Amino acid sequence: MTDPKPARTDADLGRTLADFSVASEPGNERMAMEAVAEAVKNLGVSGENLERLKTAVAEATMNAMEHGNEYRPEVPVELQVLVTDQDLLVRITDRGSGPPPSEDADAPDIVAKLEGVQTPRGWGLFLIKSMVDEMNISGDEGHHTVELVVHRGAEGGK
Amino acid sequence: MDVRHLSVEVRMEGGIAVLDLVGEINGFAEEALNAAYAEAASSDPKTILLNFEGVDYINSTGIALIVGLLAKARATHRSLLACNLSEHYVEIFNITRLSDFMSVFPDERSAVVEASES
Repeated sequence: MTDPKPARTDADLGRTLADFSVASEPGNERMAMEAVAEAVKNLGVSGENLERLKTAVAEATMNAMEHGNEYRPEVPVELQVLVTDQDLLVRITDRGSGPPPSEDADAPDIVAKLEGVQTPRGWGLFLIKSMVDEMNISGDEGHHTVELVVHRGAEGGK
Repeated sequence: MDVRHLSVEVRMEGGIAVLDLVGEINGFAEEALNAAYAEAASSDPKTILLNFEGVDYINSTGIALIVGLLAKARATHRSLLACNLSEHYVEIFNITRLSDFMSVFPDERSAVVEASES
């Protein structure tokens, strides 16, 4: 993981609490989620709300490492943690090409999975959307960014 | 942060096969989890209990592995139960609907009592 950059204030984006990257290697999503938890520790996010945020960050980082960066260790996943008066935002960016992943995340069909009609996998996006207030996905030719939004006051999402 | 690879101990408790899970349930856990399930199933118990007391992290790949175990259990008319999940993972079992197909108990004792009475 890269060293966190110094905090800065940006009137448009809010205040940056952390800005770092992790190598695209299996297991590094835990490093990312613990770093985000450390970055938000003074915002009053705790208990179950913190666990929800950590799960969303871990799943989004896993998706970025796997689908965006194809688990190439030399290709980093970049994470930025921002806070405004209204929201806590975590932006997770990979170096994927092609169209960004769909934001549609209906509940996977567990019956179909149990009956072998669908693969048992495919829970990540659904978990992310279930854990935070908003999930926004954007991208260009060389990057995909998943933005996790937690409304402050509700701190910690759903 | 080092990955805490899953280790599993299998034991019998009142006719129920208990899998004591310790570590992380993620993609690295597949071999250990499936091997432990096969060991437990080899004695043909009616019920297999997954004890999550030593688990501090389950990701979406881990959820898929648990779905796989549940599919195996249902195919052989065996009950799969869970106990000692943290509050957070109980929520995840609820929203994924895993808890619709495998009963979740707060502790091992309550799971064993329930399984013994059913």
